[in-house]
Amino acid sequence: MASDSADESSPTLRDYAMLIGRALALGAVLAGVAVPLVVLSGESVRFASEKVFAVAALVFGFSILGWSGSVFAGRGIENFQRYIGGRSDWSEADSRRAMMVLGSVGAGGMVGASLTTAVVGAVV
Amino acid sequence: MISKRFVIKRLLLLVPVLFGVATFVFAILHLSPGDPARVIAGQRASEEFVRQIRTELGLNDPIWVQYGRFLFEAVQLDFGQSYQIQRGQPVTEVLRYKLPVTLEMAIYGQLFGILLGIPAGLLGAVKQDAVSDHVTRIGALTGISVPIYWSGPLVILLFAQVLGWFPASGRIASEFSIEPITGVITFDTLISGNFAAFQSAAMHLLLPSLVIGIYSMALISRMMRSSMLEVIRQDYMRTARAKGQGSKITVMKHGFQNALIPVVTVIGIQFGSLLGGAVLTETVFGIAGIGTLLVRAIQVGDYPIVQGTVLTFAFLFTMVNLLVDITYSYLDPRIEQ
Repeated sequence: MASDSADESSPTLRDYAMLIGRALALGAVLAGVAVPLVVLSGESVRFASEKVFAVAALVFGFSILGWSGSVFAGRGIENFQRYIGGRSDWSEADSRRAMMVLGSVGAGGMVGASLTTAVVGAVV
Repeated sequence: MISKRFVIKRLLLLVPVLFGVATFVFAILHLSPGDPARVIAGQRASEEFVRQIRTELGLNDPIWVQYGRFLFEAVQLDFGQSYQIQRGQPVTEVLRYKLPVTLEMAIYGQLFGILLGIPAGLLGAVKQDAVSDHVTRIGALTGISVPIYWSGPLVILLFAQVLGWFPASGRIASEFSIEPITGVITFDTLISGNFAAFQSAAMHLLLPSLVIGIYSMALISRMMRSSMLEVIRQDYMRTARAKGQGSKITVMKHGFQNALIPVVTVIGIQFGSLLGGAVLTETVFGIAGIGTLLVRAIQVGDYPIVQGTVLTFAFLFTMVNLLVDITYSYLDPRIEQ
């Protein structure tokens, strides 16, 4: 039982790969749906591509910032919370993991938007 | 002694931070309405001319090509040329003149915050629940609660309009003509040996620095107080006092350095707020620094200036935090582990 709980608390490389893979796929699918939807709403393929790619890049950029911010100042923020007597469960490790998933969704979205634009552009 | 490995590790972390900021700014600017080519060409320009500019700037390329090009050029510190504010001039050149103005104000503001905040926090901790503690606490809470856009005009009203002690805006009196050497006006006036100009620059800088430093001072004093209170209750402090050491020596020799660790972290994190606060402070005090430049660039859609300015802010913030980390590990060598 002890080993089970240890396994649960420390994800393996495979777990991380699965998590990132799923998030990448989710981002790609979301962008793949968004580009044709924007085109169907009457906008140009160029406009749809730019906006969907930019939204995905926004998510990607935000998550990189969040990840590096967690690494940079996470310990400091944890200490700060302790000193001001905050009762938050926020931790550096959780924050990094969350940002990694978010970043993968963003990166998947950027790739998905690029690929879908090529397909939609060829069709329209 | 700080290990090289620790510094290199911290320097490497700068890469994802700057990459993230670059991506974020690129995305924001591409989501915002407005056509940069139209900004350059002007509202009355023909469609053909606008199209020509779009081609020249590479705005007709797919967005992922533009993104890659932007990152590639940013790595080489090439943010392009200003579209509107100083048309045709490289962004790095524009920033070179504006950056020292903001840095000077932020550094003086931070110094003000540290020099007042640390003694206030120490006093509050050593004389806990005394009148001085209540006074510093009320001062700190006021400082945290009052926004710059309100404290700025209020300070101008009191010290410049009513009392007439300090000038309300600008960096130096118009009678002085100082050739910029570093761009830091107090430093330049000292180098040139013009003490009257230095006095004028210092008087001009005092109110903006005060306003920008109030929040920092408030937070530092609160942090210092709670950190010092925790340290004072430690066993080693009690032991030092039991061995006959005076209260002042115990606090300053054994307590101060240990209590400083979380305060140093706050000072580093605070520097980001100071740079953000510079945008408002410069606007209120009419100082032509990087903050007012950023506001104008956003208003007129000068994207290269916005990108360059934000990336510069991010770089400064991360560098200050690197310095904080180094100081942190000096105060407590266990941090490096």
